[in-house]
Amino acid sequence: MTGVTCASGVALLMDYLEGVLPPQTASELESHVAACERCRAYVESYRATPRILRDATTADLPPELEESLLAFLRAKRH
Amino acid sequence: MDVSGPGPTDEELAARAAAGDESAFEAIVTRYQSRVFRLAWRLTANEGDAADVLQETFLQVYRKLGTFRGDSRFGTWLYRIATNAALMHRRARSRRPAEPLESFLPRFDEDGLHAATPAELQAAAGVEHRLDRRRLAEKAIAAIGRLPDTYREAFVLRDLEEMTTAQVADVLGLEPPAVRQRVHRARMMLRGYLGALSGVKA
Repeated sequence: MTGVTCASGVALLMDYLEGVLPPQTASELESHVAACERCRAYVESYRATPRILRDATTADLPPELEESLLAFLRAKRH
Repeated sequence: MDVSGPGPTDEELAARAAAGDESAFEAIVTRYQSRVFRLAWRLTANEGDAADVLQETFLQVYRKLGTFRGDSRFGTWLYRIATNAALMHRRARSRRPAEPLESFLPRFDEDGLHAATPAELQAAAGVEHRLDRRRLAEKAIAAIGRLPDTYREAFVLRDLEEMTTAQVADVLGLEPPAVRQRVHRARMMLRGYLGALSGVKA
């Protein structure tokens, strides 16, 4: 058993995923998550969140904006 | 961040543009306009605002080219200008304050255990199967727009634009631990929000 709880483990997640936790702390967190179904579910959805939102917020530059941008910048320079 | 393909590097184009080469400046615009538009859209959550920020960004780039010293990558410098332009734009709009996302942070019992069940905790990961793409896109950009400014900037740059934490720190003028703290808070709020969209309040 370690001193990591769900709450204290969640607080460490970003640092863990970025690889900046001390090895001992990282290892304690891994042990907790391996034994905790709720934390495994939390970690899965936490890790999925950036990709889901990245895919949902792609935006292409509208062609008319591309043209108006160049026209705007040319007008400002002359 | 570095979108230089074959041909001159960003820094070479910037030097030529600063010396008055108009075609070099337009090459910079061509190279970055799509990325700046997408960044502005993600930061302002509004297409009209994104178009304004796009213009403002390249106008400032043009005017400030002579001050680019190469202390950071050109792309970092340009992203800093775009991020600040988006923030100024949001402030000028003085919208009604958005309903915060604090209520979507994870909840724990007195022993520090997750209050929600595993199925509830996992729900956010399945949101793409529960909502159609169009509705998810609308909800996603609106939720990002509800983050506090400081969290939104860090989250958009780190997780949506996929910059490294060190690059985000450089753009925002923060230390890396502060970037991680902000991105972490944003991820937790948005994770809970996606779970709620899936029909689960956890």
